[in-house]
Amino acid sequence: MKIDRRCFLSLAGGLVVGHLLSPVPWKMTDDIAIWSQNWPWTPVPEDGPVRWKETVCTLCPGGCGVRVRTIRDRVVKIEGKEDHPVNRGSLCPLGYSSIQYLYGPSRVTTPMKRTGERGSGEFEPIGWDAAITEVTRKLGELRQNGKSHKTAVIAGDDRGTVPYLFKRFLEAYGSPNFIRTPSGRDAHETAAYLAQGKSAQNVGFDLENAKYILSFGCGLLDGCGAPGYQFAAYSNFGEDHKLVQVEPRLSNTAARAEKWLPAKPGTEAALALSMASVIIDRGLHNRNFISNHAFGFEDFTDDNGNMHKGFRSLVSEYTPSKAAEITGIDARRIESVAVEFARSDKPVAICGYYESRNTADIDKTLAVHALNALVGNINQAGGMFVFPEPDYDLPEVQKDNAASAGTEKPRADLAGSDQYPQSRYLLNLLPKRILEARNNDLPVEALLVVDANPVYTLEESEKVQEAFEKIPFIVSFSSFMDETAKMADIILPDHHFLEGSRDVPAPAGVGMPVEGFSVPVVDPQYDTRNVGDTIIDIAQEMGGSIGSSFPWDDYGDFLEKALSDRYRDLTRNGYIVNRDRVSGISDAFETDSGSYEFYPTRRHTADNGDTDKLPAYREIEIPGSNTNNAVALVAYQSPRIASGAVANPPFMTKTIDSKTLKEDKLFIQINPETARNLNLKQGDEAVIETPAGKATVRIDLFEGIMPGLAAMPAGLGHTAYSRFIAGKGVNVNALLRALPDPAYGMNTAWGIRAQLTKA
Amino acid sequence: MQKIPSHTKARHFGMVIDVDKCTGCASCMVACYSENNVSFRDEESAKMLSLNWIMVYKLTNGESFPDTEVCYLPQPCMHCDGKEFGKPPCVSVCPAVATDFDWPTGIVSQIYTRCFGCRYCMAACPYHARQFNWWDPVWPADMEKYLSPNVSARTRGVVEKCSFCYHRFQLARQKAYHEGRPEEIGEDEYQTACTQACPSGAITFGDLDNPEHEVYKLKQDRYAFRLLERLNTNPSVYYISKRKWVHRMADNYLEGEVPAAFAENEA
Amino acid sequence: MTTSAFPEGVKRCSGSQFILWLLPAFLVLLIAAYAMFRVWGFGLNQTNMNDAYGFALWIWADLAVIALGGGAFFSGFLAYIMGVKQVKNIINFAVILGLVCYSMALLLLGLDVGQPLRGWFIFWHANIHSMLTEVAFCLTIYLGVLIVEFIPVILENPKIQRIRFFHHLSHNMHEIMAVFAATGVFLSFFHQGSLGGVPGVLYGRPFAFREGLFIWPWTFFLFTWSAAAVGPLFTASMCRLTEIITGKRLVKDEVYQLLAKISGWMLLTYIIAKSLDTIYWATVTAPSAGFSLMSFYTNNPLYGIWILIAEIVICGFLPALILITQKGRENRRLLFAAAALAIIGLCINRWVMVLQTLAAPLKPFDEWFMYSPAWTEVVTTIMPVAVGIIVISLAYRYLPLFPQERELNP
Repeated sequence: MKIDRRCFLSLAGGLVVGHLLSPVPWKMTDDIAIWSQNWPWTPVPEDGPVRWKETVCTLCPGGCGVRVRTIRDRVVKIEGKEDHPVNRGSLCPLGYSSIQYLYGPSRVTTPMKRTGERGSGEFEPIGWDAAITEVTRKLGELRQNGKSHKTAVIAGDDRGTVPYLFKRFLEAYGSPNFIRTPSGRDAHETAAYLAQGKSAQNVGFDLENAKYILSFGCGLLDGCGAPGYQFAAYSNFGEDHKLVQVEPRLSNTAARAEKWLPAKPGTEAALALSMASVIIDRGLHNRNFISNHAFGFEDFTDDNGNMHKGFRSLVSEYTPSKAAEITGIDARRIESVAVEFARSDKPVAICGYYESRNTADIDKTLAVHALNALVGNINQAGGMFVFPEPDYDLPEVQKDNAASAGTEKPRADLAGSDQYPQSRYLLNLLPKRILEARNNDLPVEALLVVDANPVYTLEESEKVQEAFEKIPFIVSFSSFMDETAKMADIILPDHHFLEGSRDVPAPAGVGMPVEGFSVPVVDPQYDTRNVGDTIIDIAQEMGGSIGSSFPWDDYGDFLEKALSDRYRDLTRNGYIVNRDRVSGISDAFETDSGSYEFYPTRRHTADNGDTDKLPAYREIEIPGSNTNNAVALVAYQSPRIASGAVANPPFMTKTIDSKTLKEDKLFIQINPETARNLNLKQGDEAVIETPAGKATVRIDLFEGIMPGLAAMPAGLGHTAYSRFIAGKGVNVNALLRALPDPAYGMNTAWGIRAQLTKA
Repeated sequence: MQKIPSHTKARHFGMVIDVDKCTGCASCMVACYSENNVSFRDEESAKMLSLNWIMVYKLTNGESFPDTEVCYLPQPCMHCDGKEFGKPPCVSVCPAVATDFDWPTGIVSQIYTRCFGCRYCMAACPYHARQFNWWDPVWPADMEKYLSPNVSARTRGVVEKCSFCYHRFQLARQKAYHEGRPEEIGEDEYQTACTQACPSGAITFGDLDNPEHEVYKLKQDRYAFRLLERLNTNPSVYYISKRKWVHRMADNYLEGEVPAAFAENEA
Repeated sequence: MTTSAFPEGVKRCSGSQFILWLLPAFLVLLIAAYAMFRVWGFGLNQTNMNDAYGFALWIWADLAVIALGGGAFFSGFLAYIMGVKQVKNIINFAVILGLVCYSMALLLLGLDVGQPLRGWFIFWHANIHSMLTEVAFCLTIYLGVLIVEFIPVILENPKIQRIRFFHHLSHNMHEIMAVFAATGVFLSFFHQGSLGGVPGVLYGRPFAFREGLFIWPWTFFLFTWSAAAVGPLFTASMCRLTEIITGKRLVKDEVYQLLAKISGWMLLTYIIAKSLDTIYWATVTAPSAGFSLMSFYTNNPLYGIWILIAEIVICGFLPALILITQKGRENRRLLFAAAALAIIGLCINRWVMVLQTLAAPLKPFDEWFMYSPAWTEVVTTIMPVAVGIIVISLAYRYLPLFPQERELNP
């Protein structure tokens, strides 16, 4: 049969019509719709029995108890643990998003060795044995050359068993250089040492029971300090609770406070002393405490017959009207707050720990501690506490000659030196010391970094980076590819906290001697190891007296022995509260006078003289020059931005509003008045330049910030981790510069002068 | 039109949020992402492309320094009852019945497999409580492991929104049934993830019609108000603030009009 | 095989010239096809829409194109139901224009949904309360009607006429065309209204929300009326454009003038109704929710009060007044200028009802939402024009669209 065109067309047409009349197209349409509902690339999470497990979050020093929802071997949700004494069920955004770190792209999944240029982020995987051998070989070489003291450890904390193991390692190995990263604790520890004679102890504030919280710039609700603890305290606020916030910017804390006192930054000491003067003037101070437990309240003559001005005389200089001039707060407000504070049932004055910048203003801290002493709430419920750190009952460190010689050497960071005799750690001075040193005489030749990210968190991060580039050998123990890990030669990744055990000492500033314990709730997801195990392995592989100073099978074995009788309770309950560590008022003071020293006799002063020991308001001349378009740049903290060693996980970055970060551009807040003077408008692009660095930012007009200031959120501008945080915004630390206290070496700069010009 | 089966107990779930208590910390937002498998991308600053079942807005009273005040307003889906009960603005417009008003609970549902992405419901919602999946969700590295099996992951091209953690209600109901007390669900047995997560206790959730529930009392607070109440959407989410300017920020008022809570004072 | 492919007794340009003429249109089509591939392949992230602008350029284009395509139904109504003979001279053209408009509208709708593969849920799982359901049903059925109306026109091609079957088919179809036209008219009245209902029922959107009659908001009636008024003007304008391009007279002036007269009066009544509606909305409906008229207008370049003035006065009353006066109609330039204004006015109306509805902030702490379309949206929105050019060119070339062409071009 001949098939002509017409026949062909009919056939084709027939086929089409036939198909249309058949169920085929309908079935196909349906199938396609079903397929669109089950796209193979859309995950279908596997179901299974739900188990809730409990542990402690260690992503920040807050130490919140968490409950973890697991399904088979997966962690699907984290929530606050209701009966944990620190957070009592509350949890911050970082805690809620911590599962993103467990499974996320910024984890270091296996030991790594640097292959590219330092800081390039080029690494190759290397087995655990090879990695540990490499570390011990390098450290051994240094030690053999008599340079063991050139090994330093930078740690985020000096309490707890992991820092303990590192300190112990350095002691057995022969180095004095265990350095804690700067934090608000530095000033409080120093103040407790000066006024109460307590050395290296934890100062805490019992916010849970306090009724009147007078906060000198603490970002209690801004994610600083131990957020879970502070939120829990705030959530229980009743009608009879009051929060007063002293801060130049209307922060979240200030916004929720009963009263907001926008004092000029750096003048808090004057305000506190003025309030003290009001309290004393009106006789509202605790006479019992002053007469039985105070020293230097009145003028006195010392053993050498020298007259000294007492606290009462000192504060009489800080009349409310004078303080009003200094701080910009109305004198009547100062008086009324002072009176309210002193008359309150349970008042507490706090500063330092929860501030957005880790500055250490000794005067301010002493003044604030003195306010607490004035109302007699030292070691009282709802007041200020000082208690010792947990101790461990362990065999002595064995030290050979090299170790003894090494530990005797001066510290690389000048802490404890003649210049700064009473300071314990001065990491902020180290980068400069390294940069100024000749290459063959570096103060640090090997650096171990644990639970810290100094390349990001220290001021003048560019300089820090340069300094780190000069250090010949850097080992990071970070679980995540942070800025410091990226600079390392070897990364020995720690577990995520959901994968390993660890003790969690009381969060700094928390008003109770709680000790937490985190346990694994899921198997290690990657080839990581508990940092405790790693340091024990390193010590044992180094052998000799170092190895024999670490006589434990592993970290678990060590924990059991170190925590001894607390171990069972800790592992069973997840926490214990060591009430016995809180001393009564009778032995609260270990000063020479046995009292609270309003006049801190021990205080070291720059001229080593006898004057200037009393807390006073001293104007701090922050770095930078005061030109026409100058603003004072301050960092602020937001609960939605993690600004510590650990960066924002994607969920937290998702919560940042578009007037803080937009298309990777960060906004700085300035008052509309400041903006008018600088000819800037909402959303404008501007260049901010400080003596430390320069960045392009956008302008956000905010009425709630003091004119003349510019506030930038801390925690953005990361260069490492993953694409979900890297490259977003500017690292405020890169624009700041530390201003060392002449007698203590800690950073006292509350901000920096910056030129702000329209781009 | 009988919408509730006779054997089902009628509930009316809703929320009361104390704006004066909210600190703007965003724990509720993160807890929600985690609870409900909300996806994320590396660029999240364009909020109108970002998936947030609950969004915390920052409100400022506009006064100059230092009289400035700031409040935070968390905004989930309002689960409106609608102008006519059971007809929220979004439900009646959906051409494919992909979103529905659940009469036994008062919860406005969203059925992802039914939705074909016309976005009419988004145009209908004055709160921007609904979001569209402009992209395919991707969970990088091993993040798929943390997904909850109780909430299905969405695909590109569908609308999603807050469900008042309906799966939690289902689980609570299931549990009650197995324990031989069907329809007896305690107030604390069914709470949304955001309520639970709020560290300052600003959010309260429960049955608005049940006198034993906290929300029943709170919604009658003198200073309770609802967002854009004058549009007659009848939201099931109430707010409380003693600040007049916050009330003014929550609805539209012509010159001379005063928010209801303050009307008596002024008169 | 000597029969010419062209209609009897008319002249057409050379094949190569014809292809050259169509080339730009095909180019646009090609780019649009690529845009469609991107959108269907990678999703709506290829557009500039966002959660504030769930509806944007495409929905505007849909509403505008359908309203303008309304020329088909209203001409049909006039020709077949009212028996206005003159209109028959332009009805074929109106049908083709309508067909292009409606098919393109459906295509854009198909592009605009997030899950086009299950777009048919709108029929299968229909929610009868939704205006969009009504739109989808009426639109699809009316498209079917338009195709049926168009088939006999195709069959008029001399080459096809030679085939006996098609010859008879065409004849018989002509006989029953009035039935289809009537159906189409009914459907069209309805779905034009439903499209107006789409924004009008949004009681959460006080800019769009209107009270109304039973379940129908006033916009329901206003949309129908405006489409009926302006649709024929669009048909006439496109016809005139075809005349200019081909350099031939295709329709007698009296046809244009008749359409203009009808449209003019309709436009006037429409714009009066629209003004009343606007006044009622601005003084009663919106204030009841706390909004004043100026809450909906701002000083940004897109949504100023000028847009309301432009829509109602410049593109409403002005063309209406021109068209109802005989002098205005008899001046061909003035007639088509008025038509152009009316068309622009209609487009503005659809624009504000879709986009301004979404742009205006409702929560006092919201800001105006701004949007500018992505290239994918722009090119696909231009696509109907390109398709229109191609289809009309082909139809004009091969089909006897204009009964008066031979008479006017001896």
